[in-house]
Order: sequence, then C-alpha cells, then structure tokens
Amino acid sequence: MSTLIEVNHLSKSFGSKKALNNVSFTIESGATTALVGPNGAGKTTLFSVLCGYLQPDSGTVRILGQPLGHPSLFGKLAALPQDATLDPRFSIQKQLCFYGLLQGLSKVEALQDTTRVLELVGLSENHNSKINELSHGMRKRVCIAQALLGNPKIVLLDEATAGLDPINAREIRSLISSLSDDVSFILSSHDLAELERLCSHVLYLDKGILTTHNRNEQTGSSKYLTLQLQDQYKDAKELLKQLSGVLYVSQSQNKEFIIEYQASHDQFDIHLLKYCYKNNWQYRQLVNGHTLENQLFQKD
Amino acid sequence: MNIYRVWQLALFELTRLFATKRGLLALAAFAMVWLMILRYPIGHAVPFLSSPQFSEAAQELAGNIGLRELVSWPQAELAIFWLIALYSFPLFSLFVCSDQTVGDRQRGTLRFLSLRSTRDELLLGRFFGQFIIIICLIALTALATTIVMAYRAPELALSGLGLAVTLICQLSLTAMPFIALMSLLNLICSSSRLSIVLAILLFTLGNALLSYLSSYLPLLDVLFYAFPGVQLMDIAPQTNVPFTLWLIPLLQSCALLALSIVVFRRRSL
Repeated sequence: MSTLIEVNHLSKSFGSKKALNNVSFTIESGATTALVGPNGAGKTTLFSVLCGYLQPDSGTVRILGQPLGHPSLFGKLAALPQDATLDPRFSIQKQLCFYGLLQGLSKVEALQDTTRVLELVGLSENHNSKINELSHGMRKRVCIAQALLGNPKIVLLDEATAGLDPINAREIRSLISSLSDDVSFILSSHDLAELERLCSHVLYLDKGILTTHNRNEQTGSSKYLTLQLQDQYKDAKELLKQLSGVLYVSQSQNKEFIIEYQASHDQFDIHLLKYCYKNNWQYRQLVNGHTLENQLFQKD
Repeated sequence: MNIYRVWQLALFELTRLFATKRGLLALAAFAMVWLMILRYPIGHAVPFLSSPQFSEAAQELAGNIGLRELVSWPQAELAIFWLIALYSFPLFSLFVCSDQTVGDRQRGTLRFLSLRSTRDELLLGRFFGQFIIIICLIALTALATTIVMAYRAPELALSGLGLAVTLICQLSLTAMPFIALMSLLNLICSSSRLSIVLAILLFTLGNALLSYLSSYLPLLDVLFYAFPGVQLMDIAPQTNVPFTLWLIPLLQSCALLALSIVVFRRRSL
C-alpha cells in the first residue's frame, strides 16, 4: 500500500473560529475513508483544503507525493464539492467533454468518456440537457459523473447522497462500492449506515480536532461483536455474560449489546447465534466489531 | 503553465458568445447598434467631410480639436469609425468582459475547473478568450465600415483594407487593459454587475479624486498612468503618436494581469 494523502499539522481559522486545529492523518491507497462529524465540525473546510479551494493557515498537505495544486494531480484527484454546479448555459455533454480535454484527453476520448460516466450515473439520456433542466438528484449525479472522468486515483465526495431519493442513493453507493478497488474514495456524510457499508477507515472531526479509527483493527486478546435484538428480552444482558468466551457485555442502546469475547474463541459468532436460538431471542443484526455509531459516540 | 490548457479555456470562452442563445442575442444587438452607427453617424458625416463646400470648415473645426490629420483621410468612413470605436470599444469591453470568473466562482463551477488547470491558466485563458472576442468584434465592425467605404469609393478598397487592419490592431491594444481590469475586479467583487459599478466608480470618482489630490501633490500625476485609457486623447488624432503611447496599454495589461494572478492565487474558491 502507498500513501495517497499525507496531512501534517493542518490548521485553518475563520476569524476567531478554528475550523481545523492541528489536523494530521494519512490515507493509504485502497482504503475507502469516511469523514464524519457534526455540522460545523470542519469537514467541508478539510475537503476544501485537500482540493486546493482554501489555503490553510499552517501545515502541509501532500497528495500522491505532490504539494496541493500541482499540475501532475490534474485528472488524478477528483471531487464532488458541496453546492457546486455546472454552467447552466451549456449542455452537460459539452462541459464534461471540455473537462476531459483539460485533463489531457483527445476530443474523441473526451466524448467517449463523457458517455461512459453519464451511463455510470444513470444519465445516458441527458447528454444534451442543461443543468437547470434537471432535478436536484440528477444534478448531483452529473457532478459525481464529472468526478469520475478520466482515470482518477482519489475521489472526494462531499455529501454525495444528501438530497437523493433512496433508490438513487443506493445506486450511488453501489457505484462507489464497485469502483473502490481502483479508486480511493473519501466520503463525507451524516448517514452512518451508509459509511458503515462503504468505509474501512474513519476520520472523525469535531470542533476542528480530528481522531482516526480503523474499523477492522483488532486490539489485544479480545474481539467485539455488536448484537441487536428484535425485542427487549428479560435479563438478556446477564444471560449474555454467562455465555462461554464472553469477557464483558455492555448495553449501547435499548436492544443493542456490545459483546467483548476472547479472540482465541473459534466461531464465537456461530456460538452466539445458537445461544440466541436456545433462549428464543430474535435478532435483528449482528455486526462484527463495533457499529460506526458506537465507535464514534459510545463513551464507555 | 500549460499553453494547451490556456488555449482550451480561451476557446471555450468563444463558444460562450458564438454558440449560446444568450451570446448570439448579444451579438445580434451589437450588430444592430453598429448598423445604426454605419447608417447614420458615419453615413451622414462622410458627405459633409467630402464635400468641397464644407471640407474647409470641417478641417478648421477638426484642427481646433487636434484632429486635422484624421479629417484629411480619403477613407473618411474609417476616420469616423476610428473616433467612435476608440471611445466605445473600451467602454463596451467593460460590459462584455464583466463576467470572466465571478459567475463561475459564485456557482462553484471554478471548483471543477481548478482540479483540472492551475489558477494562473484559468485566469489567463479567460482573459485571452475575452480578448479574442473583442478583437473579433472590432474586426467585424472595421470590415463592415471598409465595405461601406468601398461601396462609395471602390478605388479606396485596397488602401482602406490596409488601414482597417492597422486600426483593428490599434483598437485591440487600446481595449486590452480594460479587459485586464475586469479580470481583476472579477476577483474582488461578488457579481459581474458589481464589477461594472466598481469600474465606473474607478473611472469617475477615482479620476476626480486623483485630479483633486494631484492639484496639491503634482507627483501624484503619475498615478493617472494606472488608469486604462489614459492615452486615448493623445492617440485619437493619429498624428505623431509616439511609440511609447502604444506601450502604455500593453504595460497596463501586464501589470493588471500580474496583480490578478497574485489575488487569484490567494483567493478562496
């Protein structure tokens, strides 16, 4: 794995408000990374700095080994910026072709690639439409299409599925999932379930301060499972504690339990499901490790 | 700086005028205005200048305002075209080139572009695109005037064509710093309309303020050279125009573009 993005001691303030406070992290190739945080946490600021839209007050950013804005990054770093839209005076095809030409494609290649990316986002019928003739969701998909032009190595998507209907949001998710072997995505979203499905690495920003989480990381001699039951069963927590191999059980939500167990225990998940069956418990979900929500917000 | 990307950006600007409905409508309005100018001011003034009865009076009047050489041109249509175009194209450039980057910045389109070209390329590409548009419009009007002149006096067609080419170059050079000024104002203002307002204030209030201050501090006179069009009155007569006067718009354009590049590099998108 090679380092795609390396950020060191990045700070950015707007007046007295610190949007980014000494942020440092690295992103390796092949990882799909989530950027999570409450509103005003600094996510869009971080995206804007990574794309070169904003100048940081201090700190360094290297993308694919190059400083921000280096011409060798054109066509390799792509982004869906929040609230950005194409020029309403030109057709989508004309603008995407133009972007392709700027990326160094020939006219024929640019046209072919425009057709390809518009097909990818399900807009093959809208080549000649202008952006203001499209719905909000379609506009967003056009903006995602422009990010996929050429052969990008890194794609930053800021709130890619916000405002999309469930079907289109699902299509975008499956598109990201299908391309994630060749492209490293960095996604910002408030939809934790979506990020849970797509991302292996999480950057959590709050008040400009960043913490990182590796979702597949195992620490020490114990592992975790998160069990969500269908109903509130009597003494479920106590009974779970009695299961062999269990080290500790905590209740994260009403019907949700985080089970810490010995890493050496083979097929513990099967063992747990059999235990549920034995106790006549219906389960809704079994997550290997912590849910993203618990990982980020669980205090104990 | 990649010349190919600058050229692509400039070419895309041309399609804004020649391949969009709004651009073609603006072009049609421009053509109509110039049709009126050719039909009336130019059409009516030429017989007056050419007639032996009035030519002496016209020469005397023109001589008083330093335009004697111009009135003596046999290609009278081009002489009047020169005077009208010299003052109208710079003003026209302020309006036509008022949205070089500001609209795209407000819309966020520059964010897509800045991931595919450097900010310097973007700025220069847009500037050259607008400059080519203005050259095309100047050339079209100059050629139309030459055709009107050739219709009146076919024997002047060849010399008129040569003179028209010279005037196209001179007018383009004159309009250049006005386009560069709009490049800079686009980076400071939040809309194209505001850029125009600021340009008008600069040429009126700014000029008046500088005149007032320079009456106390004559050294400040040198600041007038920062204003695009400072040399217009001196080049209008077309007689004994020193070469340095043609350098002024070129230097102003370079200075304004250099300043624009510095501002754009620091600007948030």
